[in-house]
Amino acid sequence: MSEPKTPIPELGDAVVQTGGDTLYQCMQCGLCVSSCPWRQVDGDISRDFNTRKVQHMAQLGVEGYETEEVLFACSTCGVCVNRCPRDVNAIDNMRVLRAMIAESGSIPQAYRPVIGSLKSQGNPWQGERSERLDWAEDLQVPKFGEGTQYLLFVCCTSCYDARSKKIAKAIVSVLKKAGVSFGIIGQEESCCGESVRKIGSEDTFASLAESNIKLFTQNGVKKIITTSPHCLFTFRKEYPELGGRFEVWHYTELLKQLIAEKKIEPKHALGKKVIFHDPCYLGRHNEVYDAPRDVIDALGSTRIEMDRAGTESICCGGGGGRIWMETPPGARFGDLRINDALAKQAEVLATACPYCTIMLDASNMAMGKEELQILDVAELLDQVT
Amino acid sequence: MAEKIGCFVCSGCGIADAVDVDTLVAIAQGEKKAATAMCHEALCQKEGLELMRKEIESHGLDGVVVAACSGRDKSNEFDFENVYVDRANLREGVAWTHEPGHEDTQMLAEDLVRMAMGRSKFASRPKGEPVQPNNRVLVIGGGMAGLSAALYASGFDREVVLVEKEDVLGGFANHLHKIYPKDMDLRAYAETDLDGLISRVAGEKKITVYTGAEVGRISGAPADFDVTINQGSDKINLKVDTVVVAAGWKPYDAAKLGHLGYGTTPDVVTNVEFERMAKEGKLQRPSDGKALESVLFVQCAGSRDDNHLPYCSNVCCGASLKQITYLKEANPQTACYVIYKDIRTPGHYEEVYKKVQKTGALFIKGEVESVQKGAEGGMAVQATDVLLGEPVAVEVDLVVLATGMVPTTLDTDVLNLTYRQGPELPEREYGFPNSHFICFPYETQRTGIYAAGAVRMPMDLASGMDDGAGAALKAVQSIELISQGKATHPRVGDLSFPNFALQRCTQCKRCTEECPFGALDEDIKGTPKPNPTRCRRCGVCMGACPERIVSFDNYSINSISEAIKSIFVPDEFEEKPRVIALACENDAIAAIDMAAHNSLRINPFVRVIPVRCLGSFNIIWVADALSRGVDGIMLMGCKYGDDYQCHFIKGSELANTRMSNVQDTLDRLMLESERLRQVEVAITDYDKIPQIFDDFLEKLEELGPNPYKD
Repeated sequence: MSEPKTPIPELGDAVVQTGGDTLYQCMQCGLCVSSCPWRQVDGDISRDFNTRKVQHMAQLGVEGYETEEVLFACSTCGVCVNRCPRDVNAIDNMRVLRAMIAESGSIPQAYRPVIGSLKSQGNPWQGERSERLDWAEDLQVPKFGEGTQYLLFVCCTSCYDARSKKIAKAIVSVLKKAGVSFGIIGQEESCCGESVRKIGSEDTFASLAESNIKLFTQNGVKKIITTSPHCLFTFRKEYPELGGRFEVWHYTELLKQLIAEKKIEPKHALGKKVIFHDPCYLGRHNEVYDAPRDVIDALGSTRIEMDRAGTESICCGGGGGRIWMETPPGARFGDLRINDALAKQAEVLATACPYCTIMLDASNMAMGKEELQILDVAELLDQVT
Repeated sequence: MAEKIGCFVCSGCGIADAVDVDTLVAIAQGEKKAATAMCHEALCQKEGLELMRKEIESHGLDGVVVAACSGRDKSNEFDFENVYVDRANLREGVAWTHEPGHEDTQMLAEDLVRMAMGRSKFASRPKGEPVQPNNRVLVIGGGMAGLSAALYASGFDREVVLVEKEDVLGGFANHLHKIYPKDMDLRAYAETDLDGLISRVAGEKKITVYTGAEVGRISGAPADFDVTINQGSDKINLKVDTVVVAAGWKPYDAAKLGHLGYGTTPDVVTNVEFERMAKEGKLQRPSDGKALESVLFVQCAGSRDDNHLPYCSNVCCGASLKQITYLKEANPQTACYVIYKDIRTPGHYEEVYKKVQKTGALFIKGEVESVQKGAEGGMAVQATDVLLGEPVAVEVDLVVLATGMVPTTLDTDVLNLTYRQGPELPEREYGFPNSHFICFPYETQRTGIYAAGAVRMPMDLASGMDDGAGAALKAVQSIELISQGKATHPRVGDLSFPNFALQRCTQCKRCTEECPFGALDEDIKGTPKPNPTRCRRCGVCMGACPERIVSFDNYSINSISEAIKSIFVPDEFEEKPRVIALACENDAIAAIDMAAHNSLRINPFVRVIPVRCLGSFNIIWVADALSRGVDGIMLMGCKYGDDYQCHFIKGSELANTRMSNVQDTLDRLMLESERLRQVEVAITDYDKIPQIFDDFLEKLEELGPNPYKD
């Protein structure tokens, strides 16, 4: 038998005091473990990462959870949080533990360039700040100014990633068609900071949030349309504590309303079998389930559902900083969703999150299932209007 | 004995579709000599009942056979003053379970009418023996269960005599620092206000309290118990009707827990000792008086452990959680550890569990490996943490062992009954006196004596109060029934009582030994001395008696013998075997009826005879059946053994013993012992009934016809 470990109650207390305030409520039932998407895939992380055990080690203040494969495995999808009979927020607890590791300087290698880029350029994708608006070059996107109703806050991913830029363009296109008063501020915008906070870099998050709040406030922003559910989450749930209070919309919520008001109407039917993948941060984290479906229903398409949909949706694998981490083949959650979609004979796998699009695209290409199209809900609406 | 018997055949509920009812009437009137016999389309309806009443009056009937539905149905309707009523089950037993119009179906119906007519010849309506009660309940134990029992019994206008061995009332609750849920900020739940309870008891005129007292002796029987209470050198004699035993519990002997460090150092204490430390305000390390900075609780210390107490004591998790709140309230920095197998916190205890979790107490699921003196003056505890998959070690100031509960009665006499079968309640599983934990709480194997509180099973104070109330209601109900000459649980309301033809008794003592309820005492020679109010009317004595001297007015060796002899047994060339099934009324008969309700087909060669309990099975019936050419006899009773389901504790077990003895005899007579078979049937086994009969018939076919057939 191995050398006995000695509990250090002060460590658990520290987690509770710095944001993991539900840690001690965990009664070790293990429902989180069986709910975790890692159970659905193979590989070392699936074997080693055990949410319940991480909570227990944190409670006792014993070592063993600090490795990249364990502490940084969680994609913060929130299924366990939803199901926990004791209202334990394992995501908060995990975030605090990651922050403690970050403070000690032993952050995973993959995150170093991300944090560096965020600090110097205000985006995690190592893009130059000066290139932030390159996606909008030929679009004549309105500049946010006095009298503009909405700030369109475009996720860094859609600013810099080639595939994702198309989503930003589609959103701009449909907003214009609907005659919405919107605008963008410009290169001064910075990453919302949602994901970097999840990997434990509290100071990076704090400076990004502070910079954005200052920028929005100076420009007189009252209402924000986000292109990513991750930005939506942090603007809605984390910025208010830091003084940033805005009316925040996910673009699907606004599109739903515009369609209902007949401000935008499809000119022809899409005529395809469309299946919707609920992004964790749109669904479980913000409880927006109907809006994207209502938009799909307006396309003149057949909407079908996966067996695991809505609150039971399976993560794409891109949350919680996993988007920047290499996940070996066979362990990618995206593969599960491609299979879920194909099992229902879907022609289009629609989603509404830049991370989801990237992860699902990657899986789709690796699996060679090009017959399935991965498209954003905004792209679909743009096609038919 | 019913002299003038009328037979009424119902043609409703599908009976006339299945059998020729006119032939049944003819058999009753001709062959079985009924004083009157007739058919009606709905006997249970107003018109049918009026017809029967009129016939009873005009013919002066003292016996009636209702050939209609099962005897389990419509017993209130078919009840006529001063008339013995027997039932032939033509509906569930024939029409709903057999092929309509078939020759075998008709033969079955005819036999059922013959059997009921035969039985009636040897039966009469029991009158009952009313008793003048004292209207007084004895409650033994002045803890919360006993106090609650006393208040409830007095609330039903009975006098109560409350005997408490300590000098003050309150029982174990007196030793507690805080009481769930009253002192634990759980006010939404039931009250456990000990002081209030004691003052209410003190203010109740109908309750007489004897503290510092014990029950020296109880003789007699329910409604006529003579009790001697010893209070110091005083002896108080009084009469009571029924008794509630609420003698409480004591902690499991921690001296047996040396492996957990108990007894080697003062710094390992039990939860009871810790409670006293808290009550005295001494939350310090016993060995040196140091303020407690860390405490480790060992749950299931000697519980759920086959070497100690195999059961869960129900309250220890809650007790440790409560004790952690003492420590955390005194000093939130106190490190508290709990080593547990499972945290069991039903009801409001779950709220306490959550609350204590939030204080930062650490819960470690696993087993304690060792408890030793530590390097820093404390106790070093090593345990396996099964949820970590690794051992953990911690040094603490104090180890608290959460020990379980054992009933006080395990080694202390509290009743001192002068019963032939011994002075105390028979012990069931783990030494608790209860007769059945789930189905029949409070019941014991002594009529009129009910157990309540932790003496019955481990429980907390609030449950103990509920339990006291429940047992008190049983005690009051029992006075009511006994005073009317009626049986108590489970044959509630039965007015019959066993008669002993003592001039033929050979003093074999089988009845006095086998009575599950200690109803029979003995004189010096060994002759049984019945105590009518202790009797539950199960008929075990009737089954036990080799001289067949025990009988009830409405149920006897002769009445069942006559039913058996009334069966028409075709000769061997007709290839119509006959089987009698003596079936327990409590479960087996109900299961057979349920088979009918589910439209299952049942073998037509079986003749079912209800018996009160398989314990009333007398081996003479085997001779009666086999000598008449019946091919097989089936005993259908409840599950027996440690987890028995018999309403009368061991009736089916006794039947099994008797059957084995008969089988030996059959083997000696070169008659196949396989012709006799006992099966265990629970009420839920209705779907197995057809198979049970078919299997037996198949076996009998192998054996061939009974050689005694005509």
